[in-house]
Amino acid sequence: MIICPSCGHQSITGSAFCAECGVNLLPSDTPTTQKMDVEHPASSEQPKRSAVTSPVVPCDNWVTLHLLDSGQVLPLTARNEFTIGRTAEGQPVMPDIDLTPYQAYSHGVSRLHAVIKRGLAEILLMDLDSANGTFVNGERLEPDEERALSNGDVVALGGFKIQILLKST
Amino acid sequence: MPPSKQDYYSALGILRDSSPEEIKRAYHAAARRFHPDQNMLPGETEIFLEVQRAYEVLSNPQRRVLYDATLPKEEAGTQAPVQIRLQYSRQSLVHLDEPQLVYALLEAGQFEHRGPQTLTPLNLCLVLDVSTSMQGNKIDVAKAAAIRIVHMLRPEDLFGLVVFSDRAEVLLPCAYQHDLNRAQSRIQSIRTSGATEIRQGLQAGLTELSRSLDPKRGNHLILLTDGHTYGDEQECLQLAEEAARLNISISGFGIGGDWNDIFLDGLVGRTGGNSTYIAEAQDIESLLVEKFAALARTFVDDAILEGRPQSGVELRSCHRLQPEGGPIEIGEVLHLGPILQDESLSVLFEFVIEPSASREESVTLLDGAMRAVVAARPIPFPPIRLRMDRPCTPSASKETPPQSIVSALSRLSLYRLQERARNETQAGEYESATRHLRNLALQLQTQGQHDLSKTTLFEAESIERLQAFSEQGSKQIKYATRALLRQAARERK
Repeated sequence: MIICPSCGHQSITGSAFCAECGVNLLPSDTPTTQKMDVEHPASSEQPKRSAVTSPVVPCDNWVTLHLLDSGQVLPLTARNEFTIGRTAEGQPVMPDIDLTPYQAYSHGVSRLHAVIKRGLAEILLMDLDSANGTFVNGERLEPDEERALSNGDVVALGGFKIQILLKST
Repeated sequence: MPPSKQDYYSALGILRDSSPEEIKRAYHAAARRFHPDQNMLPGETEIFLEVQRAYEVLSNPQRRVLYDATLPKEEAGTQAPVQIRLQYSRQSLVHLDEPQLVYALLEAGQFEHRGPQTLTPLNLCLVLDVSTSMQGNKIDVAKAAAIRIVHMLRPEDLFGLVVFSDRAEVLLPCAYQHDLNRAQSRIQSIRTSGATEIRQGLQAGLTELSRSLDPKRGNHLILLTDGHTYGDEQECLQLAEEAARLNISISGFGIGGDWNDIFLDGLVGRTGGNSTYIAEAQDIESLLVEKFAALARTFVDDAILEGRPQSGVELRSCHRLQPEGGPIEIGEVLHLGPILQDESLSVLFEFVIEPSASREESVTLLDGAMRAVVAARPIPFPPIRLRMDRPCTPSASKETPPQSIVSALSRLSLYRLQERARNETQAGEYESATRHLRNLALQLQTQGQHDLSKTTLFEAESIERLQAFSEQGSKQIKYATRALLRQAARERK
């Protein structure tokens, strides 16, 4: 059995995609040559990349979004994939994380701007072809390109800045 | 080059180890084709005499053994019209106390050398719905499409046109269309009236095709409709089965939301054909013309797979990715569909392996042969051996599947989610249908299918509120995810 990291549905061994939610069950596309250091899970310095040790437990807090302008902190739990954006009247697709209350519109956030998801070994960010682009530490992402995030990275959705806080225990 | 003197096996188009039944079947097929009652072309008598000599020897076990002893060693695949490539989602299976899955991707086409190809001439009948609902834009575009097809016909093609509502009329009998102006003015005279009774059109179209039925041609019926047929579904399905027996394939085009795609899928599926959804009337012409172009450059009319898995292995599903995406009906014989001159066939198989089978060292997923049916060739190609198997080891291998399989599977999982949501809506399980559609919308969004994602989400909401999947929306999602299957096959080129 394979347990879907996103919805917890049990799929038969050898499945490539979850029959319940369609999420990819294969190991991440980017080859993960990096070894996880079990002896020293976290030093006082920023870890280069967070190691999610138990991908089959779907419900712990795997990333926290620190909204730099308002100081608001949003811990993400319960799911392994969140779309980020804002809402407007008559919009058919609602983002999972709605930044409307934080002046998302004036900061140039698209209605479906980006998606953050939990891969097997890393946290991935992908731009959803937004109008003003998604930047990681000032570097613009190509639409639909997945980028692994490290603890402390500053992500900008257009002009809306978010610091990424990964679980550091 | 094939050997100058061919042996009895290639005369019948069979393999050296064919069973007596297979020999008999091949002989009957040849006999039907070269029956002396038909107008024989020069040379056909000679072919038939050779076929008869071959059958006399091979049908007699003692004579067959003696004959086999005189044959030189078999050169593998010298005459194969197409090559087959196989890829698997897993390098090896694992001994397991629970069922496991493995996918196989089959590609059949001309990958290595491209010799001169025989293209099959067509015997084609277009069956057009002219009921009142077609009035206006739809019928105008359909007429324009019919006229375009008449102009695209090659000199060797036979073409007929049948119009129907609650009764049918043969507008152009199946024939060589040399007087294009006459054909054109006949098509322009079409008027709409009456209700939709598909049986009427199907019957008249099949009658036309069977008058000019020719085993050396691609015999094909194209049905274009925009409405539900009332009360004659069973008769239509019977007609389709009859058509399959006569080697006539049917493809169906449905315009707008108000037609029964499940029924049409069943109808065309019985003949190995495909159904297509036309959302907007202006697309009628381009889609029909595309269909005709595909028919005209068909190289192998049907790739037929005969074979079976070992015990403890089940072929759970089978989907064609290319040339046209869609499910393949699972039976003793699988009609995988056509191979075009410039487009290979690609099919994804899903196997479930029970614990009993995974205890062995190697698992045979499918053992059989594929026959490439080329109607224009007098002597059939010998079948191509096909064996899908995987080793089975104590511990699981860690590799990721080849990219081509991953992209095919990712698209297939979208099609499946759609299928599930639809079945659940029908069963009244609105909550899970809504959830599956929402999940589908999210996956579509991350794959960059923004418009389709919106449509899907809209439908999810309408199921939640109204407990109904809209006719138009359900078809749009179904056929769009089907089209994505084909896109997956093309992306990796």
